[in-house]
Amino acid sequence: MSIHDLLKMYIETGRIKVDKSAHPHLTTYHDPCNYGRKSEMVFGHGYFEEPRWITQQCVEEFVDMYPNRANNHCCGAGGGAWASPYAEERIFYGRIKAKQIKDTGAKLLIAPCHNCRDQIMKSLRKEYDMMDVEVKYLWELVADSLILEPREGEPESEE
Amino acid sequence: MDPLVLTKREDLRLIDLFNQEQVATAPGILNLCLTCGTCAGGCPATGVDGWDMRKAVRAVLLGLEQELIDSKFPWVCTLCGRCEHACPMHIDLVRLIRTARWLRPRDKVPGVLHKGVEMCLKTGNNVGIPQEDFLFLMEDVGAELAEELPGFSVPIDKKGAKFLLTINSKEPFGEPEDMKFWWKILSAANESWTTTSDNWEGVNWGLFTGDDEAMKEVVRRIVENYKKLECEYLLLPE
Repeated sequence: MSIHDLLKMYIETGRIKVDKSAHPHLTTYHDPCNYGRKSEMVFGHGYFEEPRWITQQCVEEFVDMYPNRANNHCCGAGGGAWASPYAEERIFYGRIKAKQIKDTGAKLLIAPCHNCRDQIMKSLRKEYDMMDVEVKYLWELVADSLILEPREGEPESEE
Repeated sequence: MDPLVLTKREDLRLIDLFNQEQVATAPGILNLCLTCGTCAGGCPATGVDGWDMRKAVRAVLLGLEQELIDSKFPWVCTLCGRCEHACPMHIDLVRLIRTARWLRPRDKVPGVLHKGVEMCLKTGNNVGIPQEDFLFLMEDVGAELAEELPGFSVPIDKKGAKFLLTINSKEPFGEPEDMKFWWKILSAANESWTTTSDNWEGVNWGLFTGDDEAMKEVVRRIVENYKKLECEYLLLPE
């Protein structure tokens, strides 16, 4: 099962509740190649809309990068490049991603992929002067937006 | 469990390897390339070391594949598939590059990628975390989360759980706090889930080094756990 289908199902069916006010800033979403374009080419379904929907349940304002979805540019760290020794080339590669992010004016970027998140958060932000953009995993965004309620039939905590 | 032997590699030529598997699906064949350059035009790696995707295809067709294999281009390419998505002749460009990676001798694979593959086959995870340390960490981080979510602990090898969750080894290795995001969500949803005491690695570097055999073995071990524990779904938050 895909994490996108699972998170979407949890929110849709009310099994988890999320609060938008935890993330008031303009937010954008990075399409990882594997969940989007490559999933579409290999499995016939690209996860483009589900993660956008999930993100929009957790943030007040959303904006897309251009180009996006199947035409999105890779962050530059895919295919093992994050773990490879060619750092200079990896940063050069990421210049397009960095510009795409800056052009949106977003202050929060959501990436549902470990490689993409690391490349953007730990490398591109520093190299391309955008430390004011916060980066979160999709599931980090959901976890940080959770409204935790005591379950029925369970004693409330003493706090 | 015997580790896989990774040294037995046949002497293969890229173009044979590529075309031989493509007989049934003609559109994949390289010589359908129109040299239009759409692939290279939309690729951020174009120009690195004088290479680009169109040039890579030409090189292989002209018998200069060794130059491609020896160059760093296949490793700077991120296998993102944007070129292939745009290719008017639907040529499997990602597979071309991945095959070029596979034709590198394993001791010439750049950086830690192949070492990670070997480590995973030997120890069950890419960074070689011993089981004892892993279990201690799960208990420790689980206890931390329990301060926020009373009663929480990390379920390990729980038979009959609905979801089997793999873990990205970089988290227990360097960012253990980040494991809590999923744990929180699953706990809030009152989900039935488990992770495993061995072969919990969700990262499969065989994908990146072009190593199909290693990749299959890593997946096989996850599926083995999944069957043994009679889980319903596999969840790889990768």
